[in-house]
Amino acid sequence: MSISKLKRKVDLSVEIAGIRLKNPVLTASGTFGYGQEYADFVDLNKLGGIIVKGISRTAIAGNPAPRIWETPSGMLNAIGLENPGIDVFLNEKLPYLRAFDTAVIVNIFGYSLDDYGEVAERLDGVPGISALEVNISCPNVKAGGMVFGTDLNATAALLTAVRKKTSLPLIAKLSPNVTDPVAFAKAAHDAGCDGLSLINTLLGMAIDVRTRKPRLANITGGLSGPAIRPVAVRIVWQVARAVPLPIIGMGGIVTAEDALEFMLAGASAVAIGTANFINPRAALDVLDGIESTMTEQGISEIRTIVGKVNIS
Amino acid sequence: MLRVSETMDPILARPFGISSIISKRSLELVYNTVGKGTNMLSRLEPGRMLDMLGPLGNGFSMPEKGEIPVLIAGGCGFPPLHFLSIKFARRKIKSHVFIGAKDRRHLPPPFIMNGFKKNLCSIHLATEDGSAGTRGLVTQLVSKSLQTTGTGDERRPVLYACGPRAMLAAVAALAAEHSVTCYVSMEERMACGMGACMGCAVPVRRGGYKRVCKDGPIFRAEEIAWSESDLTNPSSVAQCCSHAVDAIPS
Repeated sequence: MSISKLKRKVDLSVEIAGIRLKNPVLTASGTFGYGQEYADFVDLNKLGGIIVKGISRTAIAGNPAPRIWETPSGMLNAIGLENPGIDVFLNEKLPYLRAFDTAVIVNIFGYSLDDYGEVAERLDGVPGISALEVNISCPNVKAGGMVFGTDLNATAALLTAVRKKTSLPLIAKLSPNVTDPVAFAKAAHDAGCDGLSLINTLLGMAIDVRTRKPRLANITGGLSGPAIRPVAVRIVWQVARAVPLPIIGMGGIVTAEDALEFMLAGASAVAIGTANFINPRAALDVLDGIESTMTEQGISEIRTIVGKVNIS
Repeated sequence: MLRVSETMDPILARPFGISSIISKRSLELVYNTVGKGTNMLSRLEPGRMLDMLGPLGNGFSMPEKGEIPVLIAGGCGFPPLHFLSIKFARRKIKSHVFIGAKDRRHLPPPFIMNGFKKNLCSIHLATEDGSAGTRGLVTQLVSKSLQTTGTGDERRPVLYACGPRAMLAAVAALAAEHSVTCYVSMEERMACGMGACMGCAVPVRRGGYKRVCKDGPIFRAEEIAWSESDLTNPSSVAQCCSHAVDAIPS
C-alpha cells in the first residue's frame, strides 16, 4: 500500500461545556429518539454524542395529527413534545444508551420553573449523562402561556433556576425567533450556562388552499432543514463573536461542508437533525466527510477551525 | 420509504406499501400521482435506481383456523392487499376481495385484478357511479355481505382493510357491529419512517398515540380512536403547544 493511500491520522476531538467529545458530530434532539430506533442502521459508538428527545416531568402524549408538513428543502413539525416522561427515561431509555461509547446529552423542558427544576434535579448525578440541554422554547403556563425563550427576563430566570438544581454541564438551546439572539446568549452566560445550542426551529405555518385549513393540527410549527441553515449560521456567527460560550451549531446540516460552515462561523460541535430522516446514516456520513476534508486540506486538529471564518 | 428525488425538494422520502416482490433487487409499488413526490416518481426514466429504506413496520396477521379472509380495498389501498393475497395463495387460502372506486376508470389496473384472481380471490366490485360492479360504496357492499353470512358451518370472516381513513373507520364500525376481527392498514404523513420523529401519530382508544411507521401500519381496528368519542380517557391526551401559539417543540 503506497503512503499516499494511508489515511493521515486526524484529531477530531473537541471540548464543549466541559465535556470532551471524541468527534464534533452529534444528533439533534427530537430527530434521533433515544437512539434505539437508529441502532439498526447506525453504529451509535461512532457518534460524538446523542442529544435525546426532550424529557419532561410527566409523560406527554403530544399533538394530534397532522404533526408534520414538508416544505421546500425543509419541514414543519408540531409533534407536541411527545415523550414517555423522566421515569421511563431513567428506567429504560438511559440504560440502553449507556452501553454505547458516545456522549449522552439529555434535552429537558417543562411548563413552569418548577417543572424544569424538578427534571434537572432528578437527572443530577445520574451516571451516563454528559450534559443537559435546556429547551427554553416552551410556554410558561404560570405566565399565561408566554414562551420562556422569546422573553429575556423569563429566559434568565429559567436558566438561573435550572443552574441551581444541577452540577451537570448546562447547555441552553436558544430560539431563533427573537430580534437579538446575542442578548439571550448573554443571559444564558450570566445565568451560569456552560454552552449553547444554536438554533432551535423557526416558527412557521402552512395552509391547504383547497380546504383552507392549516396543514398542521397545531396551526404553527417549527421549520427545520436546509431552508433554515443560513439563519442558523448567521446566529452562530453573531453569538460566537459576542459571548464566550462554546456552541453546538445546528439547523439544516446535511453534508460535511454544511458542518464545516457552522464550525467556521464559531461552533465547536454540530448536531444533525432533519437530515437523519432522509438518511439514517447522515451523521456518520458527515463525520466521514469532515475527516476527508481534514486530510485533503491538511487540518490535523478539527478544533483549530472553530470561528475561523475569514472576515477582513 | 422511497427517495423520489436526489434534491432537497421534495426532501422527505415517501412511504409505500409493497404490492409484490419481483426479485432480490426489485419490488413492485403501485401508486397514484397525487402530489409532488408521486409526480416526480412518475417522470423518472425506466431503469433508474432509487434509494429505499425498508421493510419497515409490521405486517398483516394470518387468519386463525376457521376464518375466511375478507380483503377490503378503497382508493389506492389495494397494493398491500394484493401482496397479502399472494401470501394467502401460497398457503392455499381462499379469500374475498372487495374493491371500491369512484368509477370503473379508478379501479386497480388489470395486472392487479388478474393477480387477485390468480391468488384464489373472489372479487366483488363497487363503484360510486355504478359503472362497474355494484353501485355504491364498498363498505355498503361489505355490510350486505356480512349480514348474509350465516352461522353454522360458514367460516368466520376476518377483515383486512386498506384505503382512505373514512373507509377504514366505516369498516371498523362494521367489524364491531358483527363482532369480527378486523385489521386496518393506517396512513399518516411520515418523516423518518422508523419510529424516531413521532410525526405519523394516530390516536388510540386508551389515550395517547401510536406511530404508523413503527407500531403499525397494521393495527387491530378496535385499537384506533376513530373519532374523539372513541377515546376512553380523553383527559390523558395532554396537549402541548396549544398552550401558546408561538411555542416551538424541541
